[in-house]
Amino acid sequence: MKRRTFLDGLIALSGTALGAFVLYPVMRYLVPPRIPEAATQRVVAAKKGELAVGGFKTFPFGAEPGILVRTADGEYRAFSAVCTHLGCTVQYRGDSRAIWCACHDGLYDLEGRNVSGPPPRPLERYDVHVVGDDVVVEKAKTA
Amino acid sequence: MTAARVVPGRAGGAPGARAGRALRALAAAMLALALAVSVAGAAKDSCVECHRGLDEPRLRAPVAGYAHDIHSERGFSCAACHGGDPADPEVTAMDPDKGFKGAPSRDQVAPLCASCHANAAFMKRYNPRPYIFSLAEWQTSVHCKRESLGDQKVATCTNCHGVHGIRTPRDPASPIYPTNVPRTCAKCHNPEYMKGRPVRTDQFALFSKSVHGVALLEKGDVSAPACNDCHGNHGAAPPGLKDVTLVCGTCHGREAELFEGSRMKAGMDAQGRRGCVTCHGNHGVLRPTDDMLSAERGGVCVGCHVPGSAAENGTREIVMSFRGLAGSVTAADSLLRVAEIRGMETAPGRESMKEAQDRLVGVRAGLHSFDAKKIGAALDEGASLARRAADYGRSALLDWRNRRVGMALSVGVILLLMGLVIARIRRIEKA
Amino acid sequence: MSAREWLRTRLGLDALQHVVEEKRVPVHRHSLWYYWGGMTLFLFGVQVATGILLVLYYRPSAGEAYESVRFLMTQVSFGWLVRSIHSWSANLMVAAAMVHMFSAFMLKAYRQPREVTWLTGMALFALCLAFGFSGYLLPWNQLAFFATKVGTDIMADVPLVGGFLARLLRGGDQITGGTLTRFFGFHVAVLPALMTAVLGTHLFLVQWHGMSVPPGVEQEGRPAKTMKFVPNFLLRDIVGWLAALAALALLAALFPWELGLKADPYAPAPAGIKPEWYFAWMFQTLRILPSRVLGLEGEMLGIVGFGLAAVVWAAVPFLDAPDGRGTRARLWSLVGMLAIAYVILFTVLVYVGGRA
Repeated sequence: MKRRTFLDGLIALSGTALGAFVLYPVMRYLVPPRIPEAATQRVVAAKKGELAVGGFKTFPFGAEPGILVRTADGEYRAFSAVCTHLGCTVQYRGDSRAIWCACHDGLYDLEGRNVSGPPPRPLERYDVHVVGDDVVVEKAKTA
Repeated sequence: MTAARVVPGRAGGAPGARAGRALRALAAAMLALALAVSVAGAAKDSCVECHRGLDEPRLRAPVAGYAHDIHSERGFSCAACHGGDPADPEVTAMDPDKGFKGAPSRDQVAPLCASCHANAAFMKRYNPRPYIFSLAEWQTSVHCKRESLGDQKVATCTNCHGVHGIRTPRDPASPIYPTNVPRTCAKCHNPEYMKGRPVRTDQFALFSKSVHGVALLEKGDVSAPACNDCHGNHGAAPPGLKDVTLVCGTCHGREAELFEGSRMKAGMDAQGRRGCVTCHGNHGVLRPTDDMLSAERGGVCVGCHVPGSAAENGTREIVMSFRGLAGSVTAADSLLRVAEIRGMETAPGRESMKEAQDRLVGVRAGLHSFDAKKIGAALDEGASLARRAADYGRSALLDWRNRRVGMALSVGVILLLMGLVIARIRRIEKA
Repeated sequence: MSAREWLRTRLGLDALQHVVEEKRVPVHRHSLWYYWGGMTLFLFGVQVATGILLVLYYRPSAGEAYESVRFLMTQVSFGWLVRSIHSWSANLMVAAAMVHMFSAFMLKAYRQPREVTWLTGMALFALCLAFGFSGYLLPWNQLAFFATKVGTDIMADVPLVGGFLARLLRGGDQITGGTLTRFFGFHVAVLPALMTAVLGTHLFLVQWHGMSVPPGVEQEGRPAKTMKFVPNFLLRDIVGWLAALAALALLAALFPWELGLKADPYAPAPAGIKPEWYFAWMFQTLRILPSRVLGLEGEMLGIVGFGLAAVVWAAVPFLDAPDGRGTRARLWSLVGMLAIAYVILFTVLVYVGGRA
């Protein structure tokens, strides 16, 4: 009898353990992760006031880097930071008010147009909205 | 003597019909005359007509060549350069009184070409943005200088451009098309031709193995420099420029800009050393590698910097940080690769690694400022990014291990449960 | 009154109690094959559970599908586990379904009065394959994109309706984001709805008719030995299900399902594109058919052949001897063995260097 109850108890215990092994991952899975969604369409690129006028910042957007520029009039512009020449990450030069690629001296203007050097195409431009304290960058709403 | 008179009313029919016949005859006569004139006009270039049929190849060849010449296409006849009268079908066409000059001697070639090509108003009739030949520029060249000293083995216009059969520089068949320029120059600038002269003769050999030469000659990349891009065309001389960085800097602007403001340049100027070529060479410039950046043998620094000097210590600092970053990137890469092989997702780690690599690429250019602080800052940034990538790789591997532990535990529990259930089955069926 | 008593009168649990107490399962040398239907059902249950979890994070658009799966596998706790289990269990489920179908065929379980059970089973198998085909595209990676392209191209070769069918499936003439959304709709709504209806019918019929006894055993005439469904058979079922669970845990941890590269319609197809293994035998057959046979396109002939074979296979209850004995019965057993051998051989050939 004792053995029987022992085995019964053991079945109950292992069954519960298995239940825990199944339910624990499910519970953790259901809890949303730190970043609630894959940042492919929109992302918070910076906080308001983080960038000085004439400053810039590269931020991750989906799988690629993006660049956020604060122009002289205080407005924000955002582009893909992947140079259309050979893929280096671009930066902003406040003195010439142009986006510049250090690898081969490619230059883009503040509309993203490729104006000088090897880049064959303009940079993809993103929409920027200031929502509360966040500067949100979103893929452009094309037709 | 009887005058043949057309008497109206006499043999021939009605007056109107006879007038008609006369008009037709007149028209026919005029047509014949026009034809004769045009035939004569077609043969207006007696030079071509005559020389085409000559036996001697030297005199016959120019005709065939000139058919493809840009001057011919623009409507210039032989007489434009040689003088004479192309309308004269006889040998008198070559009468000096008619302006015939014959083939110009070597030292007459440049002035002859310049008589049109240096004339801006004239050239503008054929090209809205013409290249105006500058005799003054030509006179700065070694070719001109030596020629004026009586050297007959020195290049003049025809040596590079051809003579009968000149094509525009944009024509790939032209000897001055960028990919053809090195071989054109090498027709003279080679050991055999230059024998006995106190000049280097290894330029073409070095150039064809250089990164510029390979790009231009093997890959056909016309953005790579040919001889004239650094030496000039008509003012060909070893760059007597203020310094050679101005030459290299026309394309490698970033590096030149950084170098201009650097202490390295100031130091080199003080010692009379040339920028760029001291470390990179000139004709034989090869693709730079990280090995060049070394304080040991094989690196370019040790050629000038004496071991133990302050400059050499500065070199060592930069070299160490650079190698450190390169090493960190490699280490992060192998960690991530192991994680990937084990089936873990590594994209965020790879992103950090790419950013670290971008810093490395940036520093390879930024080196030319020789500013240890700036370079150090960039390298430090890169190092922290590489660390982040490596950390991601390590946590991926830790995850992998944890998964296996979790799997082992859960499979263990399942097996236990299976055993217990089987035992229960046995128990209830034994009864 | 106890809670159980209360529920019993409200829910009509008496009927259920009856089944639970009375249902018995025949015991004989072929009894082991009885477990495979339940195994398929268990694995389907796993699919439903993991599928529901996945749909909480997955996004069915070309611009976000791949990224959402990547997000799931890297940022969501145990997301990698849910996805890997879902992918592996899909394959195990199709395998179990095939074992179930072939064993039912060989044991002639389709004999009267179980013809409709067999037909619903055929429908369920087709639904299984449709689930597999539609689900495979959802991660929107290179392999899936081109495998789906090949699959729908072959479908377009069906005579008369092929073109229309392919356009209906693809949502157009090419595989696009529209195809993805459509496949998602099939995978999570249309197919589950159909599955519920057909599965419900199938399970009801199985309960109604009870388990079929193979002709060979029937012939022996001895009083049939049986075991109670609850708890004996069910406990054995559970052992099998636990084994399947253990297998899934091992597979998910040791051979995690990879994500690959995002689909790029303009890139050339990766070399060696193959469909999933459960379509491989069809793929291999089409590969070795000559391009023209008697003036007709070889591939089309192959597809028509498959169609005819499927019809014959489904019609076997009406073609085989009603009592499962005699020459005709032996013939159909032979057909079954040949079919199994053919499927196995041609599946293997795809992976062991069949003609490219």
